[in-house]
Amino acid sequence: MIDGADLELFTRSLRHATDSSTGAALDAALDDLGWPDALADDPRAAVSILFGLQGGANATSSALDHVLLAALAPLTPFAPLELGGSPVAPATAIPPASNPLELGGNPVAPATAIPPSSGVGVGAGVGVVLPALGGWHPPGDLRGGRLAVAGLGTAGLAHRATAIVVARAGDKTVAVAVPTASLTLRAVQGVDPELGLIEVTADGLIVAVDPDADPLTGWTNAVALAQVALGHELVGASRTMLDLARIHALERVQFGRPISAFQAVRHRLAETLVAIEMAEALLDAAWLDQSPQTAAMAKALAGRGARTAARHCQQVLAGIGFTTEHPLHRYVRRILVLDQLYGAAQSLTAALGTELIATRQLPPLLPL
Amino acid sequence: MQLDAFRAALDAWLDEHQHDLVPDHAGVGSLDEQMAHLSKVKRLAFDAGWMRWGWPEAVGGLGGSTLLRAYLGEALTARDLVEPGIYSMTEVLAPTMIDYAPAELAAAMVPRLLRGDETWCQGFSEPDTGSNLASLSCRAARTDAGWRVTGQKVWTSLAQYSQRCVLLTRTGTPESAHKGITALFVDMDSPGITVRPIETMHGAPEFSEVFFDGVLVPFDRTLGEEGQGWSVAMDLLPFERSTALWHRAAYLHRRLEQLLGAAPAGSLDAADLGEVTQILYAFRARSRATQHRLDAGERLGPETSIDKVLVATAEQAVYDLVADALPAAVTIGDDPASERWRTGFLYSRAATIYGGSAEIQRNIIARRLLDLGNDR
Repeated sequence: MIDGADLELFTRSLRHATDSSTGAALDAALDDLGWPDALADDPRAAVSILFGLQGGANATSSALDHVLLAALAPLTPFAPLELGGSPVAPATAIPPASNPLELGGNPVAPATAIPPSSGVGVGAGVGVVLPALGGWHPPGDLRGGRLAVAGLGTAGLAHRATAIVVARAGDKTVAVAVPTASLTLRAVQGVDPELGLIEVTADGLIVAVDPDADPLTGWTNAVALAQVALGHELVGASRTMLDLARIHALERVQFGRPISAFQAVRHRLAETLVAIEMAEALLDAAWLDQSPQTAAMAKALAGRGARTAARHCQQVLAGIGFTTEHPLHRYVRRILVLDQLYGAAQSLTAALGTELIATRQLPPLLPL
Repeated sequence: MQLDAFRAALDAWLDEHQHDLVPDHAGVGSLDEQMAHLSKVKRLAFDAGWMRWGWPEAVGGLGGSTLLRAYLGEALTARDLVEPGIYSMTEVLAPTMIDYAPAELAAAMVPRLLRGDETWCQGFSEPDTGSNLASLSCRAARTDAGWRVTGQKVWTSLAQYSQRCVLLTRTGTPESAHKGITALFVDMDSPGITVRPIETMHGAPEFSEVFFDGVLVPFDRTLGEEGQGWSVAMDLLPFERSTALWHRAAYLHRRLEQLLGAAPAGSLDAADLGEVTQILYAFRARSRATQHRLDAGERLGPETSIDKVLVATAEQAVYDLVADALPAAVTIGDDPASERWRTGFLYSRAATIYGGSAEIQRNIIARRLLDLGNDR
């Protein structure tokens, strides 16, 4: 546990890092600060603080890959990371991918073998393929030794030698390590070019998978952790949007008074704070009850709350908030994409409702 | 006692005494029936000790964390043994007495409230004083014999059942606003008090008009000092927006659970149900955190307005879903189950009105939490 003065120092250092750097420079700063070690020691503090700050500063990093690799251990020196931070026994070994992989039948470069528990991590050239836009299901589909991939990656993926693809294989879920070069990568411009997102596809990639390999059990946990991390990032971005709108409302004078005096403006901003606090409350609960359902609900509320924040704050900022001369647009762009990673508010909410109707059972309650 | 031990022991006691604790009336019952049943449950729970945990020993309690009484209310509500609105009045008024009444008065009176021997009410709103509480005009004049109270209150919940009233009066000049308010603890059987219950939309005369015509209130019934009434009110409101809301979360969870059981195939919209569930769980998570802050000795303040906005949002969302999924129950059913759904739906419409309207909560959030300055 990081607490007291350590927590304050940790937060201050991370704030400096996210405020002053982004992308590869932020990755380097996080390594220098020992953030990967903090992730192992106190996942809640490491994830909630960094992702909140990263969202608040509109910065990008490979932190999500770290979180996912930690959750999908034994790829990394960490024991699998649980929401509550209590290490559990390694869930599965990555199926051997040391045989030459073939793409469409043509020999390609040998896949990098991933020796379990050998200290392989993001820094050592491994990235993770994220689910396709809007969804939270594994990005890979493995049939008859051929792997199809439809997913996304963070900005650093192109520079990693190896990509971990979690795939459906019949009724099992497996993790496959493939050379990143064997995947088709497209640098996404889209609504938020600064995010540096990568679209990842592959079709008919031949991989050797041990049919007796243990199924991967860490996927649900990895999804929950990613959802909570992204939820904190969305909340961080929402808080900055609220700050920007608040400052504008206090400074902008019309009809002889600051527009912050008008109830219509005040109530939009109050509504924004309610949406933010609502998401944050459920994110905190997810760390406590470690339930994948709570994590998914928290991600949905964070996504919806960020859309609410963007709508109200852009309205309060009015003309200037619609220009690229004011920073708001960066956040409006960012939250549109973050909402779509590991389950969009809309799809997560519909899936929750469908499940409740099928089971006629509400999610478990976090006791007082 | 620790919460885990309390929870286990209380759950066992509730299981064992389920038969004595369930209401006799079918469905929602009349307000008279609900009030009689509430007194019975409080008495049984007090005599068995449960109702005394989490309250100071000086007022007949057994001490311990405030979480204990939060759990008691949750457990009673989740089992449908009490209606949370009338049960939670204790959570609002007893802390005020403990903080502001002369010690001997609190020691004599609070146990009667906890045990269900008495019902108390809260005389705040007036015909011309709703959201703008500081404008109240019910007058208390200083005389040799004590305060003479003349004026009118309205929307006073449970006044017709109450033995006592925590009453806000004007003791300063009419222009003194929040500085000239004094809180009094008034016996409702004092000469000069007239109570006229108001029939409400959901069928229960839950609140009343209360008329004061030269009512004599002894000086030793002053809560706090003369002119300190605004502080009394401001300290009371966070209680109205904390433990009472935790009980409300348990009630709404119970109703949503029952809706899942009762809704016919195809009647629930998946996206709506998912969203309502998310809102309710987020409200509950927020309220839980507030309970833990209270337990840690933190002073609750304007941030509880977020909790209040969330409870109102959650309550109306749950019952909007009820109206969509069980339209016959809400509109044409005359059986006890339908009556209960309908009553709950109608009452939920008031969730954004009572206890500080949705607009007032947003004003507080804007001024106190976002520091947006004055609104004029």
